[in-house]
Amino acid sequence: MRRPRGAKLIALVAAILVGGALTVTAVTAQSQKFPALGPLPPVPVPRDNPMSAAKVELGRLLFFDPRLSGDASTSCASCHNPESGWGDGADVSRGYPGTQHWRNSQTVLNAAYYTKLFWAGEVTSLEGQADAAASGNVAGNGDGMMMEERLRQIPEYVRRFKAVFGTDRPLIGDAWKAISAFERTLVSKAENVPFDRFAKGDAKALGEAARRGLALFSGKAGCIQCHNGPLLSDENYHNLGVPKSPVFEEDPLRQITLRYQHVSRGVPEKVYRTADTDLGLYYTTKQDRDRGKFRTPSLRELKYTAPYMHNGVFFTLPEVIDFYDKAGGDDPGKSPRLRPLRLTAEEKKDLEAFLLSLSSEKPLVMSPPTLPEYGILQ
Amino acid sequence: MKNRVRFVGLLAAAGLALVATAAGAEPLVPLAPRPAPKAEQVELGKFLFHDTRLSGDAAISCAKCHDPKKGWGDGQALSTGYPGSEYFRNTQTILNAAHYRRSYWDGRMDGRDLATLVRDHLTEAHFMQADGRLLIERLRQVPEYEAMFQKAFGGEPSYGRILNAVAAFVQTVTSRNVPVDRFLKGEATALSPAAQEGLKLFQGKAGCIVCHDGALLSDQKFHALGVPENLAVFRDPLRHITFRRFLKTLGAPNYDNLREDVGLYGVTKEPPDRGKFRTPSLREVALTAPYMHNGSLPTLEAVVEFYDRGGGSHANKSPLLRPLGLGDGEKRALVEFLKALTGEAVVVEPPALPEYKLRTLGKN
Repeated sequence: MRRPRGAKLIALVAAILVGGALTVTAVTAQSQKFPALGPLPPVPVPRDNPMSAAKVELGRLLFFDPRLSGDASTSCASCHNPESGWGDGADVSRGYPGTQHWRNSQTVLNAAYYTKLFWAGEVTSLEGQADAAASGNVAGNGDGMMMEERLRQIPEYVRRFKAVFGTDRPLIGDAWKAISAFERTLVSKAENVPFDRFAKGDAKALGEAARRGLALFSGKAGCIQCHNGPLLSDENYHNLGVPKSPVFEEDPLRQITLRYQHVSRGVPEKVYRTADTDLGLYYTTKQDRDRGKFRTPSLRELKYTAPYMHNGVFFTLPEVIDFYDKAGGDDPGKSPRLRPLRLTAEEKKDLEAFLLSLSSEKPLVMSPPTLPEYGILQ
Repeated sequence: MKNRVRFVGLLAAAGLALVATAAGAEPLVPLAPRPAPKAEQVELGKFLFHDTRLSGDAAISCAKCHDPKKGWGDGQALSTGYPGSEYFRNTQTILNAAHYRRSYWDGRMDGRDLATLVRDHLTEAHFMQADGRLLIERLRQVPEYEAMFQKAFGGEPSYGRILNAVAAFVQTVTSRNVPVDRFLKGEATALSPAAQEGLKLFQGKAGCIVCHDGALLSDQKFHALGVPENLAVFRDPLRHITFRRFLKTLGAPNYDNLREDVGLYGVTKEPPDRGKFRTPSLREVALTAPYMHNGSLPTLEAVVEFYDRGGGSHANKSPLLRPLGLGDGEKRALVEFLKALTGEAVVVEPPALPEYKLRTLGKN
């Protein structure tokens, strides 16, 4: 697929804009082949993990509980901190003690809508993500059986698991389910998101700059090719030629993790020997054509989730826009969708205004709960 | 086993002493030296033994629980384990550990395969919770280590080489110049008169040698002594967690409801093995208090008292244990003998560890 072409269409959009008869459908008329932008639908809930208030509450406690890690130091919230847009605010995540992670910590906000989790879509459910993150050697480094026995040692958890799952003793798999249920509540509410209000018919919800930005997004800038649908992600894999992160030149611990990932994911010896960057989807497929491809992230709530890209190499939205304006980076496998955009300074500002309208006006924050303590089993 | 029972009875009846060695038990002899590992491997192993980067969160090294300054144990009743955890058994010294046929208190590992024993320590969730692949990459980030691996093994760090280096070092942590050994070789003044009396009791009236025999002073077999439970295992939440998880990994039945350390039973699941633990060596025993699998006996004197009473109470308690009727002087003599099993201090100073350095990206 190529980015929208044809000056005619762009002219049409411009005409509509000038005319003021602006609706989402009108603006995206030229890009109908892409799933329409708009408010998020109700959060999808897997049939094997139905929602309940008690489960969400249990999941909230567990999300903040560092005992779900190897040395009881690192909770989900350590890298998905509500105060940092439910990411960790760093370019590349901190990781487990004694290590440094190698990718940007993605926000949990709206993660419930992804069918592919992690930057290269390594898992396909929140439940799988929670397990993988808590157990991964550079993330939580937890042992499933150890974490399960810890839960068993906390009387309040035993009660809560029984109430929610009907088990006499907590099962670690149910912990991931509860955390996932909690995460399914961490979604953008349309009434708080200017763009969503606009899409629902409140023409005043977007200022003029944001409206022009929307037209650019769907037209000249071609963002919608990949950032489409209510989630603003095609959930597909693309190589943008994102510049290499300097942290891998500067920090021995990051170098360790980079090589470790190559080894643990089973790349051929030759690839390991020359490893100097994150190969993205390649680790899963071992197909050269997938080198450097990452799953398109949602653009929702990005006001709170800087820095950007899988390696956090861009700290601000203008940097990201400039990157795309120059047709992305330099990589032999780079997506052909990326072409120079020739955006004017004004257009870049408009685009940024639109992007910011995809975020809630106030960040969704939450205080850490008081965690139940270990008890003595009779 | 039955022969020994009868034999102990005979001993008690006849008040015999040194004859014991000839009848049932292996004689006490000096430990046969092992073939010396390659010096470069030992040197590398010494570094790795002290390096916290061999644990998951880089917080603890082997030396954390096997401290050369604490008799190569940790001096605690129950071991600490990985951060966020507490262990449920006593840390054993690694002095002479290379001589065991079975390792750990419950004998779950083949002691002759030291590298695998090291591996178990590095990877177990209750010990060091490290991923071997990550360890390799950590060591590859230390140029001095890369050079040491070249010298020791002729190649770069690998998982097997890491394990073998630590194992090589552990093999060198053995008793040297032990008074009892010198005495047994004929140096009559090597033991005080009290210790000599203790030796006689050890081999005779007290019957210790029935299980603590041979060069290691261990029959390397499993016995239930009725050692009192260390209730901290069940009252300290962190220890109870580790206890349950461990028995679950062994596949032990009903591990949730156990309130006793079942020892060998966890490995074999045979009811008669409940409460049995592998006889530990008594070499260097004066350095390794507190005693027993759960550290419940604080001193050698307390241990002697325990045996004098005929041990503790347990359904599977060994019939080898009978009240000994030792007098106070005899008890002191036994303790003197046990102290004479201490050799020259095996001193290893923690080395100055080399640091991570940046590598050239893409040249791995």
